[in-house]
Amino acid sequence: MSIPTSSVLMSAWTHIATKCAEQNKEFMECKKRDRDPAACIPCGEKVITCVSSVLKELDQRCPEEFAAYSKCMHYYHNKFEECRPEQTTFEKSCTSMF
Amino acid sequence: MSYNYGYNDNPLLENFNKHAKDVQKMKYKQDLPPPGRFPAVQHGAKPPLVKAPSGAVLIALSAAIMGLGMYKIGQGNHKRREIKTEKHAARQTLVPLLQAEEDMRFHMLNQEFLKLEASVMKDVPGWEVGKNVYHSGKWYPPYWNDLPGYKKGL
Repeated sequence: MSIPTSSVLMSAWTHIATKCAEQNKEFMECKKRDRDPAACIPCGEKVITCVSSVLKELDQRCPEEFAAYSKCMHYYHNKFEECRPEQTTFEKSCTSMF
Repeated sequence: MSYNYGYNDNPLLENFNKHAKDVQKMKYKQDLPPPGRFPAVQHGAKPPLVKAPSGAVLIALSAAIMGLGMYKIGQGNHKRREIKTEKHAARQTLVPLLQAEEDMRFHMLNQEFLKLEASVMKDVPGWEVGKNVYHSGKWYPPYWNDLPGYKKGL
């Protein structure tokens, strides 16, 4: 499994947004209630497991396109407008059902 | 026209006189004006070679160009805003993950710090370990970065 660096996460954000929306919302609501880190650790663990599963799934379904897109994003410092070709190939191979 | 000088009849000037009449018959050169008159002398301002457009036309043209420019600026702003929204949406989805990871890391280090605090303040009566320094009830990050992790360079 690839290490979640910033470019990997930025290239997979659509998938994370669709699949981990509930967990993210729960976590943010918990934070709103209490800013103490200790209070929101269960919600945080759910978020982390969800995102890890998303990345694992992407590695299984389309590893090459995902790796190429992440590499391009890393090269261009996470600028979406510079990596449109790689983004289109990645989305064709693994749709995020956005 | 022939001029009658007194010495024209001198016999010594026979050759001269012989040719003089031929010269007189020749047409003499004179610096005369051309046939017809001279063209009129131009004094004062000349009329322009090419007629320039009027002021209203110039203003309208510049306004049109500026309007087109403003339209292009608006289009460009729209595109830039789209790019920014995409970037912000990506960051928005990643905030919970990053915050959760940081919370876990902080929690682990804070537990060690609370143990240290308990061991240091065990003889002090009425000391509550980990008590909030503020009365509002809200949690605030520690003022001093005394957590062991920071000293180790984490």
